[in-house]
Amino acid sequence: MTALARLYVGWARIAILEQFQYRVANYFYMIGMVAEPVIYLVVWSTVARQSGGSVGGFAPADLAAYYIVWTLVRNMNIVLTPFAWEQRIKEGELSAELLRPVHPIHRDLAYFGGWKFVVIIMWLPIAVVLTLVFRPALDPTWLEIGFFSIALWGGFFVRFFALWALGLVTLWTTRVSALFNLYFTAELLLSGRLVPLSLMPGWAQSLANFLPFQWAFQFPIEVLIGRRTTSEIWFGLGMQVLWTVVALGLTALLWKRGTRRFAAVGG
Amino acid sequence: MAAIRVDSLTKTYRVPVRASGLRASLRSLIHRRHRDIRAVDEISFSIEAGEVVGFLGPNGAGKTTTLKMLSGLLYPDGGVVEVLGHTPSERRREFLSRITLVMGNRNQLNWDLPAMDSFELNKSIYRLDTAAFEAARDEFIELLDLGGLVDKPVRNLSLGERMKVEVAGALLHRPEVLFLDEPTIGLDVTAQRKLRQFVAEYSRRQGATVMLTSHYMADVVALANRVIVIHHGTLLYDGDLAGLSQQFAGHKTITVTMPAPPPDLTRYGKEIARDVDKVTFEVPRSETSRLAARLLADFEISDLTIEDPPIEEVIERVFESEVGGDEETA
Amino acid sequence: MNLFRLAWAHLKVGSMNEAQYRVNFFIQIFQSALALGTGLIGLWLVFNQTSDLAGWSAPELLAVMGVHIIMGGVIQTIIQPNMARLMGDVHRGTLDYALTKPADSQLLVSIREVHIWSLVDVVTGIVLLGVAVTKMTRGVGWIDSLGFAAALVLGAVMIYCFWLILTTTAFRVVRVENILELFQGIYQAGRWPVGIYPLWMRGSLTFLIPVAFAVTVPAESLTSRLSTGTFMVAVVFTAALVVVTRIVWRIGLRYYSGASS
Repeated sequence: MTALARLYVGWARIAILEQFQYRVANYFYMIGMVAEPVIYLVVWSTVARQSGGSVGGFAPADLAAYYIVWTLVRNMNIVLTPFAWEQRIKEGELSAELLRPVHPIHRDLAYFGGWKFVVIIMWLPIAVVLTLVFRPALDPTWLEIGFFSIALWGGFFVRFFALWALGLVTLWTTRVSALFNLYFTAELLLSGRLVPLSLMPGWAQSLANFLPFQWAFQFPIEVLIGRRTTSEIWFGLGMQVLWTVVALGLTALLWKRGTRRFAAVGG
Repeated sequence: MAAIRVDSLTKTYRVPVRASGLRASLRSLIHRRHRDIRAVDEISFSIEAGEVVGFLGPNGAGKTTTLKMLSGLLYPDGGVVEVLGHTPSERRREFLSRITLVMGNRNQLNWDLPAMDSFELNKSIYRLDTAAFEAARDEFIELLDLGGLVDKPVRNLSLGERMKVEVAGALLHRPEVLFLDEPTIGLDVTAQRKLRQFVAEYSRRQGATVMLTSHYMADVVALANRVIVIHHGTLLYDGDLAGLSQQFAGHKTITVTMPAPPPDLTRYGKEIARDVDKVTFEVPRSETSRLAARLLADFEISDLTIEDPPIEEVIERVFESEVGGDEETA
Repeated sequence: MNLFRLAWAHLKVGSMNEAQYRVNFFIQIFQSALALGTGLIGLWLVFNQTSDLAGWSAPELLAVMGVHIIMGGVIQTIIQPNMARLMGDVHRGTLDYALTKPADSQLLVSIREVHIWSLVDVVTGIVLLGVAVTKMTRGVGWIDSLGFAAALVLGAVMIYCFWLILTTTAFRVVRVENILELFQGIYQAGRWPVGIYPLWMRGSLTFLIPVAFAVTVPAESLTSRLSTGTFMVAVVFTAALVVVTRIVWRIGLRYYSGASS
């Protein structure tokens, strides 16, 4: 067990060093990515002001809080894209990985986990600027910050394993772009990324409750901006655990079946 | 007027210098240190129309830099360069229409389409009229034995076939000056030979001037009647191949074949190779005929060959003669 | 003029290149459909809560979206592919080939690649625009239409200039994928009329990254909002950008060729 832990630390360290090297690229990416929530924020604030000060229970300052925390949560839940598997198979990396004594998921988890530390540090100045510009209604208690820290990583794990499992579909067929794009569109609408779910129609909100998306996105955000009661927070953390376990199970199943098929069919 | 004229041509690169380690990398953030590398150091030569010249030198000697200055891709830092009466770096249309550049490991034909489609593109770029274009195209297809290759996507061709269509495409506008940078690199022997034959034939028919860099001596020996040797940016030799051996290799080799196993012949000269029935001597040039005569007189000889040392060896010696400077070249 | 003949020759070859990958056509259609659906849902969510956004009615916002998609299609078809190739050429040393051809190098590097499947977006946008125009209470007159077409062309030219300047100056520092992500993120701001953004953002979206000129201004013309003043600014700014782009390109080339002066 300690050998594995040491591997994790090693990989995470490499990730931190590498991503710090690529800090310019990282910053370009983060700035471009900040554009998305800022656009949503401005649009919905305009709607709110025109609708008597609030929309869906959100005043402009609340929307600002939502979308600013959004930027951190979004950065935290960026994980291995399912599209990466096509390249892994084509370039023979998968075959190389299969020959190693360690399951490849460990390296991905360790690498992305380590990368997140760089991301958090780089995000701080961006958050300061956004706060100065948009003046969010953000005043979390220490308890909320504590819960938020856990929920933030919980969201990372949920999405990491979910997308890892999704990517494994590539082991069966390489014509996966339609499926992945469909998944991402559904996620965009039902996770709280486009808008807080309270602004979606009722049937959409009910549908979202059966899907893992919101636990990686809206839930951590709302913990920090104070829109969840303590019992709701415990429930949410439980859902994160649940969905992580489900995704893990799916991953294990798909991996076993998929690699067997892959080995039979050839790379 | 010479087709290519180069006079005291110089090109210097400024390269940042940094030692390894954390302290050095921090220091370099504040104080950037540079080193000037003279990639080309006042070289001069002149090439007449129709000449085929081999441009030799080890990696980093300044060959590609010189070629780039001749084709207008780089600005010289000093000296004069003139090709077909033009200053290359001005990149005038009339100049560019009369030259061509082919780089061995870099393709310019469209990867996914048949070469023919890229040829049509070149026709448009060089503003060739249809008759001239088709004549050149058909001539090259025949000379290079391209057949159906031009209709297959370039990515489906073998390396040798790819190079053939690349060269064909590069010559459609019948340039008068060809700059070939390692054109045969990575090709098998047959492909190399075919390409050489083509270049030689094109140059002969067209009266074109060819400047060719290569690491394969076979290219130079087969194509070039003149070699220019460059190392550390300076011109070491400019003349024909035979003269190269004469100037830098002060010896020749004599190989004798005897019907009976040869005895110990070390008192005759320096033996460098011995086989069942053959012995090879290395002998100073001035001693060649004397040793040959002695061997013929003293032994029953079934075969005797006098040769210059292999050209690769000569070149190596030329390069080695410039000692203590390899770290500086880029 | 030879310029057009050259451009046409490259367009043909570029299209032939892409046409081989027919599966990309279907992938593109699916992706465009998803993007369109998402955009429409976003619009619908907004209009569930309010009847207009900053003075723009639903059909008018639909028109903005249509222009956004059209322009996006143009960018993906002809601008981005060439910039990506330019960067790739610089990194691999194959730019030399473009520079030893007897044709204007800026022209050559700008028209070599054509990603024809992105024309699906242009068609989608036009259809959407048509639907929006029929639903608008105010009709669209001749002058508005001409202004729209002119503004669209000017906007496309501005985006091209922006991209070329960025690629030429930044190629040593970043890879094209980073610029692409940054641009695509910021371009999304054009889905909504630029007037809703705070002043400092509006400025950046107008003169720094000309999204406003590419999308909002043509849409303004179509919805009879465009003032002659704004249009003249667009004309002058485009002319200035074209000149600056040319200068930057020449300087970039001299730098690439190691000119010391």
